Amino acid sequence: MRLTISREKLQEALVAVSAAVPSKTTLPVLGNLLLETTDRGVRISGTDLDISVSMEVAADVETGGGITVPARKLSEIVRELPPSPVKLSAMGEQRIVLECGKSKFKLLGLPKDEFPAFPSVDFKSAWRVKSGQLQQLISHTAFAVSVEESRPILNGVLWEVREDTLRMVATNGHRLAKMEQPFEGGTKADFIIPPKALEQVRKLFPADEELEIARGENHLAFRSPFVSVYTRLIEGPYPPYDQVIPRDNDRLATIDKAELLSALKRMSVVASDQTHRVKLSFNSAILKFSVQTPDLGEGQDEIPVRYEGDPMDIGFNGVYLLEILRYMPTEQIRFTLKHPERAATIEPEAWADSGKYMCLVMPLRLVD
Amino acid sequence: MPTARALRLCPGAMVVPVPRQVCGVKSREIHAVLTRFTPVVQGASIDEWYLDLTGTEALYRHEPLRETAHRIRSAVHEATGLTVSIGGATTRLLAKLAVERAKPKPGSGADGVRVVPPGDEAAFMATVALGDLSGVGPRFRERLAAAGLTRVPDVLATPEDRLRRALGDNAAEWLVRRCKGIDESEVRERESARSISHEETFGRDLTSDDDLGRELVDLVRRVAHHLRGDGLMARTVSVKLRDHDFRTRGASRTLPSGVIADRVILATAHTLLDKLRRARRGPVRLLGVALTGLEEADAEAQLSLFDDPGEATLESEKDRRLARAVDAVRKRYGTEAVVPGRVAERPAPGVRRHRPG
Repeated sequence: MRLTISREKLQEALVAVSAAVPSKTTLPVLGNLLLETTDRGVRISGTDLDISVSMEVAADVETGGGITVPARKLSEIVRELPPSPVKLSAMGEQRIVLECGKSKFKLLGLPKDEFPAFPSVDFKSAWRVKSGQLQQLISHTAFAVSVEESRPILNGVLWEVREDTLRMVATNGHRLAKMEQPFEGGTKADFIIPPKALEQVRKLFPADEELEIARGENHLAFRSPFVSVYTRLIEGPYPPYDQVIPRDNDRLATIDKAELLSALKRMSVVASDQTHRVKLSFNSAILKFSVQTPDLGEGQDEIPVRYEGDPMDIGFNGVYLLEILRYMPTEQIRFTLKHPERAATIEPEAWADSGKYMCLVMPLRLVD
Repeated sequence: MPTARALRLCPGAMVVPVPRQVCGVKSREIHAVLTRFTPVVQGASIDEWYLDLTGTEALYRHEPLRETAHRIRSAVHEATGLTVSIGGATTRLLAKLAVERAKPKPGSGADGVRVVPPGDEAAFMATVALGDLSGVGPRFRERLAAAGLTRVPDVLATPEDRLRRALGDNAAEWLVRRCKGIDESEVRERESARSISHEETFGRDLTSDDDLGRELVDLVRRVAHHLRGDGLMARTVSVKLRDHDFRTRGASRTLPSGVIADRVILATAHTLLDKLRRARRGPVRLLGVALTGLEEADAEAQLSLFDDPGEATLESEKDRRLARAVDAVRKRYGTEAVVPGRVAERPAPGVRRHRPG
């Protein structure tokens, strides 16, 4: 293998695929990137066996071939190189020489055959989605996944593809985010995808690009002409989230998002580090906040709201509310409630988008 | 002596079960009396408490500690009909040793109170056998005896480097401190809540997994009830097993969050028991369940979206509601009003009754 590539192109590809390289691994080859020549240049791939990312970049190929190279060292070298063409030449199966201007490096690698093969996915029946649409779905839901290992199914984002909609749902069992977008040409399919893979999809594909998505046996693959992301799917039944979405919440508040955010941030300062408990008291024109934390102190605040329904006190984990508000796309939000121990919903008010977005959050039981 | 061995030696002996519930009630009654004398009362077991009387001297008009102790003793007797023995000293270690001398055993001449006055600690310690120190178990005592050490003065007379060689650095250092009567541990009210455990020594060794499973259900029911009664939740569940040959083994598991419900504690304990049984099978003479990692039950709990937590060792809101409902029934109709089916249908309680026949 012998080729010449611009330093910028190489750097771009290394940054993209390095995200899939595990920081610690018992299998040495996973700490390496696979470099292979193609008709168009060179393809660089990295994997942690759960997620595999590859990117193809233009290069002048003199001799074809492939080799694996330590990911960290290669990235660190390329980052410091001057903006000149980079010459990569494999010396046998396990050594590569990198030259750029007056700089010259020899790195020990591993034979390309040791690099795990990417999952086999057939793109013949792939469906096509605008990357921007996926990005919107991912960024508004993935934050809500569980990070606890006790229930692996909740560590993923549920992606429901329907004939006319794309829907993503994520929850940690206490709060939930759900977004759907209109879509054409889908066939019914459900996947549970690790958020780390979705984050790569969100970052690596430009918003205006159209992606091909196809399913392998236990994998899902996203592909554009130059970039591919493969991810392992999380197996198992997703909890029946639709059943817990309240349909009869009859107390309705319309709140200014910025005001709510800043009041909650103030309250969070004195809220308990463990429960982050904030009490909200809804009244016809005023939303009152109060926090009492033993050994720390207390705080009160209030903001104007439009509220329909009987007055009600309800407790929440302030962090859950703050997170949800951060993703609400409109200036006003709609908050619906039923009972101090039932789920509350938060939705954008007068959203000019064709999609639908809702979050729900379970309260903290109040004792006083 | 294990009950089984006692029965082998005295086949005609009558064994009666311990009325645990009544003991618990009495224990709480005694505790209530003790707190009248000082706010700092630490329960060490069902029938043992430490009281810190520091700062109460003026309250009792600077009377000698001995007199206050007798006053406490009479108050307990008056309120509960039970007699207690009281040991008094400047440290917990000495008070614990003193109470042994306070017990009015026949011929001892003791009157239920023994106080080691400040300044007399060394003289008192000089009369103590090493085996009486808490923390010196049978095996350690044997090692000490092998090194020619049986009483506190033996240790204090031995050069420390010799002790270190014979017992190891840590044990030697610990023993010397004990023998000098040094004990910096404080009396703390809340320390009693470090763990909640119940164990059962069986009248007859149990061999079948089914029998053990049933005993486990009963033990879990007790610890869980106790846990909730104290307004606590537990993070760690432990199971202890003593095999017929007295080998004691244990296993524990820490859960992702605190739990209160029987179902979850039982599911966890079952996994642990299975693990212990897989490692070594054979007749079992004792089974115990302990809950540790105790924290105040979070009354302001975060509610969950899904009632089914998806895994047996995770607790759902439904589990908690059920546990509280059972407690409410037991509070009204007694602790035996609601028991698991397997416990209700078992042939006889854990301790067999033997009647002279």
